Amino acid sequence: MTKTEQKFDAIVVGSGVSGGWAAKELSERGLKTLMVERGPHVEHRKDYVGEGVAPWEMPFRGAVEFERVQNEQAIQQQCYAYNDATKQFFGNDRDLPYSIPEDKPFSWIRGNQLGGKSLTWHRQSYRLSDLEFTANSRDDYGIDWPVRYADLEDWYAYVERFAGISGNRDKIDILPDSVSQPPYAMNAVEQALKQRLESRYQDRKMIIGRCAHLTEPTDEQKALGRFRCMARNECQKGCSFGAYFSTQSATLPAALATGNLSVATDSVVHSVIYDEKTGRATGIRVIDANSLAQREYHADVVFLCASTIGTTQIMLNSTSKTFPNGIANSSGVLGHYLMDHLYGAGAHGRVPGFEDDYYHGRRPTGIYIPRFRNLYRQDEGVNFLRGYAFAGSAQRDEWGNFAHRDGFGKDFKQAIRQAGGWSFGLWGQGEMLPRYENQITLHPTKKDKWGMPQVHIDCSYSDNDNKMREDMAESAAEILEAMGCVDIHKSIDWDRPPGLSIHEMGTARMGRDPETSVLNGYNQAHDVPNLFVTDGACMTSNAWQNPSLTYMALTARACAFAAEQLKRGNL
Amino acid sequence: MSQSTFPSNANRRTALKQLALACGVLLSGRSLDLLAANIALPQDQTRRQQRLLDEPQRTLVAQLGELIIPTTDTPGAIAAGVHEFIDHQLAYCASRDEQRAFLDGLRRVEQVAQRRHDQPFLACDQDQQVALLRAMEAADEPFTGADRAFFRQLKGLVLLGYYTSEVGATQELAYAAVPGDYRPITFEEVGRAWSNRAP
Repeated sequence: MTKTEQKFDAIVVGSGVSGGWAAKELSERGLKTLMVERGPHVEHRKDYVGEGVAPWEMPFRGAVEFERVQNEQAIQQQCYAYNDATKQFFGNDRDLPYSIPEDKPFSWIRGNQLGGKSLTWHRQSYRLSDLEFTANSRDDYGIDWPVRYADLEDWYAYVERFAGISGNRDKIDILPDSVSQPPYAMNAVEQALKQRLESRYQDRKMIIGRCAHLTEPTDEQKALGRFRCMARNECQKGCSFGAYFSTQSATLPAALATGNLSVATDSVVHSVIYDEKTGRATGIRVIDANSLAQREYHADVVFLCASTIGTTQIMLNSTSKTFPNGIANSSGVLGHYLMDHLYGAGAHGRVPGFEDDYYHGRRPTGIYIPRFRNLYRQDEGVNFLRGYAFAGSAQRDEWGNFAHRDGFGKDFKQAIRQAGGWSFGLWGQGEMLPRYENQITLHPTKKDKWGMPQVHIDCSYSDNDNKMREDMAESAAEILEAMGCVDIHKSIDWDRPPGLSIHEMGTARMGRDPETSVLNGYNQAHDVPNLFVTDGACMTSNAWQNPSLTYMALTARACAFAAEQLKRGNL
Repeated sequence: MSQSTFPSNANRRTALKQLALACGVLLSGRSLDLLAANIALPQDQTRRQQRLLDEPQRTLVAQLGELIIPTTDTPGAIAAGVHEFIDHQLAYCASRDEQRAFLDGLRRVEQVAQRRHDQPFLACDQDQQVALLRAMEAADEPFTGADRAFFRQLKGLVLLGYYTSEVGATQELAYAAVPGDYRPITFEEVGRAWSNRAP
């Protein structure tokens, strides 16, 4: 065991969206901070090996070798963003085993490298509102959030100004406007369908998706080496323009500029060290990813931002006399109330006309229809709790669509050159209820190659979740019909496993009562005042919006609180 | 700024620099140099060693590809090297079952050509070849549903190989490595479909 001499003010475990923000905020507040990442270093620009490679320069045009997929990334390849140019940003399933009950599949997508999944995320960015922060208290699934929108409003604005969010001022009370840069355009078909939707339904709006892309960079963003988005939509390969928010493009350079940040990559965190005498965390135990050597790092405050399941795995593995079942787990709820978003249900159809219309560029966002079901009260005739949003887009058929059609030869080639007709689809993004029985535990015997107990994930959809997915398909088809679409097809992917929406949340939830929650309203562990969790693990409910912007706001707020408490000597 | 291509290898850095400039990225010469100097080099080109097809099979696939995407005012599948692509793709990226199904499909093409015209597929005239493929696609006697599935697999590979080739992507269709922005336009403004995946 190597005990490093250097003591830090703060340790941040994880380097994704939340970890990057924690590192930036803590180091900017003058704290000597160590960011610990279990995966390898990824250098902005230099290590984006798939970027800017033309399709014809890729031997398999984006496909990945069968052997590699089968043997190393059979789970990871289920992610839509996985391909030959991005595969290095997904974990190796063989090295990262976890167990599941035989009848309950769960797909755990891993982004174990510096930058985490901030490199590969889909970048949709929405604020939550009090509809979400009061959701649990209104229907009694889960416990009440210890925060309200008013607590987070300024922090949303703070992180948006730095990260850069493009979008409109849409004036929708359940989807508060962000501090935004100019929105992406809707194409002609989307503009027409928006009109048809909003004239037919009083309660529904179609907006352009808000996303973490620079359309008009600020001086602060330019100074970090970030540029305007070039509409390539190949983001997950890495973006040398730094146009989308990632750790590498934004929070890491800002944190490094303070001179207060150290980064330890290839460092698998084993557990948090707990001092029985002081009742505080004193640091972390780390296993070197390559040599398997053990070492410790010490600090006054520890932030866990290792991804929802990763963070809780570390906490469950941090046992002591006081916490035999995981650090800060006097409530016994650590590991419980795992959630993911409900995806994979919706409808698509054809849009007649618009043969003269087209678009230039590849937009890194789509259109969005905010939630319209069960707003503050249960709608008549709706047989499930809570609600969902729709994401979608309109586009013309391209060569890939023609592969599924009959025909070949000269006329076929000419038809592809002329582009096909327009299609439009709407896909639900629904809220999953927080349920005690959806949980992660540590496997009693199985370990990974670093000696960490494997995670056992026991998660399934509830009756409510399934009814909501049915309604997504039904209402999407109804909306498409009202918009004048034809040849409408509903679909629900019943085999889609939880986890695959890659919005894992919960398992170390926030709450007011230490007997029923792990964290308080500042993401501070009730039981261990200098331990904070600000990634998806903290979520008390999972709302229907994409969550990353909320992790950013919660993280920045918790960092300000922790730094202040440290200064006052309260931690 | 609509149909720029991204030249390979040595020109990449210069190209990125020029494209950034053309797209209106305003930054100092120094940071532009830094940006261009840091852009990643292309992936390895070594993954083109293994093959699935023997020479006669490859020749057959070349002709099948050319029938699907023929030479017109732009080059067709053969000039785009689609058969070479399919050969490597199946060797590296297909399962054993998919490989077997593909080879079975090629055999069926030959078998039915022999039965109907008493000669190998490649010896048939073009009308006969086209008629055979139409029958296969429609699963008309003696072709079966399995044969139709093979034809779909083949067509999918030919389209992928052709429209992601340099010829298919940049001559037959429109290609923009760095579009610069997203905006609605008329179809006439570009005049042909984009090869890059939309929207």
